[in-house]
Amino acid sequence: MPETMVRTGQRGQVRVGVDVGGSFTDFVLDDHRGGGQRVVVHKVPSTPHDQSIAVVEGVLGLCRRADVAPSDINVLFHGTTVATNMVIERKGAEVGMITTRGFRDILHMARHKRPHNFSLQFDVPWQSAPLIKRRNRLVVSERILPPDGRIETPLDEAAVRAAAELFRKRGLDAVVIAFLFSFLNDVHERRARDIVCEVMPDAYVCTSSEVVNAIREYERFSTVAMNAYIGPHTSAYLRQLEGRLRGAGIDAPVRIMQSNGGIATVANSIARPVGLLLSGPAGGVIGGRATGEACAVANVITIDIGGTSADISVIRDGQLTIKNPRDTQVALLPVLVPMLDIDAIGAGGGSIAYLDAGGAFRVGPRSAGAAPGPACYGRGGTEPTVTDAQVVLGRLDPDRFLGGDLQIDSELARRAIETHLAVPLGLSVTDAALGVLRIINHTMALAINANSVAKGIDPRGFTLMAFGGAGPLHGVALGELISARDVISPLHPGITAAIGLLVTELQYEYTRSVLIVLSTAGAAELARLEAAFTELAAEGAAQLDSDGIPMDQRSYQRIMECRYVGQGFELRARVPDGPIDAECLQAVIRDLYDVHKQVYGHAFDDQAVEAVTLRLIARGATESLSLPALAHGGRGDPADALMYTRDTVFDDGRALPTPRYGRDRLLAEDTVSGPAVITQHNSTTIVPPGYVARVLSHGDIVIAKEART
Amino acid sequence: MTETVDPISLQVIGGALHAIAEQMGTVLYRMSYSSIIRESQDLGAGLFDRDFNTLAESDSTPMHIGSLPGYLRGIEKSVPLDDWKPGDLVIHNHPYFGASHSPDIAIVMPVFHEGALVGFSANTAHHVDIGAATPGLIIDVPDMYAEGMLFNGLKLYEEGRRNEALWRYIQGNTRVPGLVMGDLAAQIASAELGVRRFQELLTTYGTETVMQATRQLMDYSEAMLRRELAKIPDGEYVAEGFMDDDGRNRGQHLPVKVTVRITGDSVEVDLTGSSAQVPTAFNVPFEGSTKVACFFAFRALLLDTYTNPDPVPANEGSFRPVKVTAPRGSIYNPIAPAAAEARFTQIQRVVDLIIKALAPVLPDRCTAGNAATLSFAAYSGVRRSGDYWVFLEVNEAAMGGRPASDGPDTVEELMRNTRNNPLEDLGMHLPLICDRYEMRDDVFPGAGKFRGGMGVVKSQRFLEPGSITHEADRHHDRPWGIFGGQEGHGGKVEIHNARNPAAVTQHPAKFSGLLTAAGDVMSYLSPCGGGYGDPLERDPGKVLDDILDDYITPEHAADAYGVVVMAVDDGYGWALDPAATTALRAEVRSRAST
Repeated sequence: MPETMVRTGQRGQVRVGVDVGGSFTDFVLDDHRGGGQRVVVHKVPSTPHDQSIAVVEGVLGLCRRADVAPSDINVLFHGTTVATNMVIERKGAEVGMITTRGFRDILHMARHKRPHNFSLQFDVPWQSAPLIKRRNRLVVSERILPPDGRIETPLDEAAVRAAAELFRKRGLDAVVIAFLFSFLNDVHERRARDIVCEVMPDAYVCTSSEVVNAIREYERFSTVAMNAYIGPHTSAYLRQLEGRLRGAGIDAPVRIMQSNGGIATVANSIARPVGLLLSGPAGGVIGGRATGEACAVANVITIDIGGTSADISVIRDGQLTIKNPRDTQVALLPVLVPMLDIDAIGAGGGSIAYLDAGGAFRVGPRSAGAAPGPACYGRGGTEPTVTDAQVVLGRLDPDRFLGGDLQIDSELARRAIETHLAVPLGLSVTDAALGVLRIINHTMALAINANSVAKGIDPRGFTLMAFGGAGPLHGVALGELISARDVISPLHPGITAAIGLLVTELQYEYTRSVLIVLSTAGAAELARLEAAFTELAAEGAAQLDSDGIPMDQRSYQRIMECRYVGQGFELRARVPDGPIDAECLQAVIRDLYDVHKQVYGHAFDDQAVEAVTLRLIARGATESLSLPALAHGGRGDPADALMYTRDTVFDDGRALPTPRYGRDRLLAEDTVSGPAVITQHNSTTIVPPGYVARVLSHGDIVIAKEART
Repeated sequence: MTETVDPISLQVIGGALHAIAEQMGTVLYRMSYSSIIRESQDLGAGLFDRDFNTLAESDSTPMHIGSLPGYLRGIEKSVPLDDWKPGDLVIHNHPYFGASHSPDIAIVMPVFHEGALVGFSANTAHHVDIGAATPGLIIDVPDMYAEGMLFNGLKLYEEGRRNEALWRYIQGNTRVPGLVMGDLAAQIASAELGVRRFQELLTTYGTETVMQATRQLMDYSEAMLRRELAKIPDGEYVAEGFMDDDGRNRGQHLPVKVTVRITGDSVEVDLTGSSAQVPTAFNVPFEGSTKVACFFAFRALLLDTYTNPDPVPANEGSFRPVKVTAPRGSIYNPIAPAAAEARFTQIQRVVDLIIKALAPVLPDRCTAGNAATLSFAAYSGVRRSGDYWVFLEVNEAAMGGRPASDGPDTVEELMRNTRNNPLEDLGMHLPLICDRYEMRDDVFPGAGKFRGGMGVVKSQRFLEPGSITHEADRHHDRPWGIFGGQEGHGGKVEIHNARNPAAVTQHPAKFSGLLTAAGDVMSYLSPCGGGYGDPLERDPGKVLDDILDDYITPEHAADAYGVVVMAVDDGYGWALDPAATTALRAEVRSRAST
């Protein structure tokens, strides 16, 4: 069942995972040398101005802590928010664009829909802060025509050269070439790229069809623009990181987490940085899946709750959910690259609770962030936050916060809730604090439902896995709201994302838009499909060759993104192994029917099916992490782990004397009945009355309703 | 007497209602077939109570938001409340019984809980073709019977059983049954989903609690709007403009007059003084369109979701403080059987004139003149197989300058907010190819401290013979400048043949069933917004940006903005000349003051 965990071909390696977050950079080291098995974790403050500083310092610290020489590290896996931050903060490169005459402003017009319905003063970010300024978008004559890609107007090569010379004079870092209908015929894009590279040999140059070979001009142009915008600085960062690591004596190859949940080499990440935009949050989902496998559950809803936001994703039958390509965007700009379906909402420990001008009780999305932080931090924050509510209710012990590393003041939390909520609403402080949690939990539950129920997934068959520092505080309440089967608090809720880095595999995706009606496909169409997949597979094989992945470690998956003829949105249908023949297409059509029905609640059995984009996923297995098993405890009342008892208020408003257990002293198959609080260095797990927590073999805790006898 | 729902539960139930409406909208546009729904998202979906109050609506296209209660009131005339049974489904589009206009077909299902009718799950979507006189759109027709199929509260399903005769009738009376029937299926799936989710919510919290919460949520939205209305000084605020013509009687401008009366925390919009109803389809259904435009205007002006961080629930409450008056027999309240299908540009102008009327008292919330139009093009033809193809395209325009920012260029303004169609997707499926789609370069944007937005130019070439019906306005009444800003520009429609690009003919904004030959190219150039504030106060850096980005020329920078640039050899060509700019601006100011 848990395949990647069983496959312990560790061959005595030392592997390190590094996940960079907004506040902290997390590290995991997995040492399998000499037949032993050791996992060491570490955490240092992030260095946002240059993430690589904290990465290198942290790795060295981790090595000291683990007593491993830096040169003994065999491979280093890295999840980074460098690319995403560059887009959000608009700190990318100066990019030039060469595009088809008559279509200078595709990036400026976008889909012509404004971001707000009921607003006159709204901002249009793609116009007010464009990735490529209009002055640097130049047009040249050329025209490719649909539906066959024939050339109506040949490329004006002199105009391309003149544009490149102008860009050189302007000192631009990067150039994109994006022509209409290049997904049908890329000859003009390739020729223009060669000319630009001649004129600007040092520039970062890419074409729209090589970055994403898919139909729909705005989305494709936006994707290539994004790639070039983040390309130069992302390459610089990755090279700098490699340099710093070498300088510190760490010669291990570096692998980078991709938005699709796979990992890629540094070289590949430099060529296609647009694949890194979800590098940060992807690790958490992968870690969630691995934890699920370790716990023998294949259906998991993950929620990673941090200070300002919560990331939600669904794992079904052990498979990660990939976002529909029509929904993949970063900072409101579309990027047509496969991304895990991770929904981020503005709800976390720092979310501020307040009454608005009309007296409505609101929680979030505004956050107190790291500065000033919740009121109880005593750093100048006066508005009450979700964390303050937890403190007031006795769910977070002030003296144990971050293992006692951070002093917090419960009186400040109480005062904030009293002043801003309880008094104006005429509620007790306890009821106001419970209200804060009830609203934030419902906000999160609605977001979970939008990603599950709304997509045809029944949460009653799913385990809710709540991680991130604040996750296990909310886990059971959320599980109850969404009717999840049970709830898991992973062994290391605070570093699940870093763990995820050590359990994924190399993964590359290749696409081609080939519009063919499957229902009526004849021999010629079958041959075109077969040929396109063969070409894509060859591209994948070449990449895996260059990564040195042995044949027996490779796998390929084929997908057709299909729709009923006339529809505008495609869904992913699986293509069975074997030749592309009539039988194969029937299987694709059947799969589309099932997926369509699951997603929309309806499907058509009398409508023709059209393939739009072919996708090939090439994977290369890498080694994986297996956490050590705990000793067997099997105790119904693990008295060894009991620390002390304090009053805690639960959701029904009752304050109960509630024992605190130290998580590091719990053993496998120990059970703890609610009410109870299980504490560890950077996380607290709440077990309400009526629930039982059971420790699994590797230390993960599953919490379920107490069986009624 | 039902107990007041506590503020915490209120927030929880409000969030759930909103989520249901959003999901209904998503299913509808994701599943649908025609580009007008699936790409443009020309649709609305929501939940309603027994009194037809909007409880929640999807955040899709403003025109649809707020129109559904009118449909429900219209349906009641043929299906009284006690005639509804579980599993019923009504189809409705009658412009004189509450519909927004006839192509916007509503699908309505009752929501029963514990045996009682609690409310409705409903949606509207714009259908490509309902068998009207010309494919897709109509302008110059005699009456509403030329609009095509009219459904006046007909049960398409009775207790879960589909009326096959009606279904086949619809199938046989549209030019594009493949699109229309698929779109109806999507609407039905969306309505069913709304019923199911609403019932689940009622089961979770109890009917009493949920309905009491909805009343409180409506009161909240109403109070939020009234709070803002109360800040506006009482009085009568008037603005006027005119429309090009009715699509038949060329050269006869149609006046639009908007009087906004503020009394305490209420407002009346009075359209008296606007044109009498016209003999073509260029009239506006009162319930489903005129009123909705006025509701929109005050939400956008006073509860702007960009400047106001706390979202106000989209429900009936925000309609209550707004009273709308339009004399019977006027273009905004026509008398049957006048056709009333082509109504969008008129209501855009109502919103724009409400903004203009209130601008003197809302200088920080208004805009300069917006394009306030709509270019709706129906391209069509008959394939060799004998099947029709019909494509409805919405062309964007631009907004006027604003108190703190330029008017957005090439954007869906005011009552509309659809998506464009990917040119590559169209090219793969239609005998139509786009030759040009970018910002206009034949005019300068309306100058101002914050300039007006630039309009769009879009050129579509027919590869085979076909026909076009085009619904638009505002070739003539240019968007105004405000507080010293300069006016923007009117629109244009030009046609040429690709074999002879120099022979360009000019066309009015609206025309019906124009036959086209292979190679004919229609270019639509949208209006451009007016400027806000004195152009001499515009940041010279922004003026330089506009030169470098080819919005304006150095000559125009000097003439309109008093900004002087000098040639430089840095690859960009121009840099500011601050001293000369200061001098020129001083000179222009002193000239103006003498």
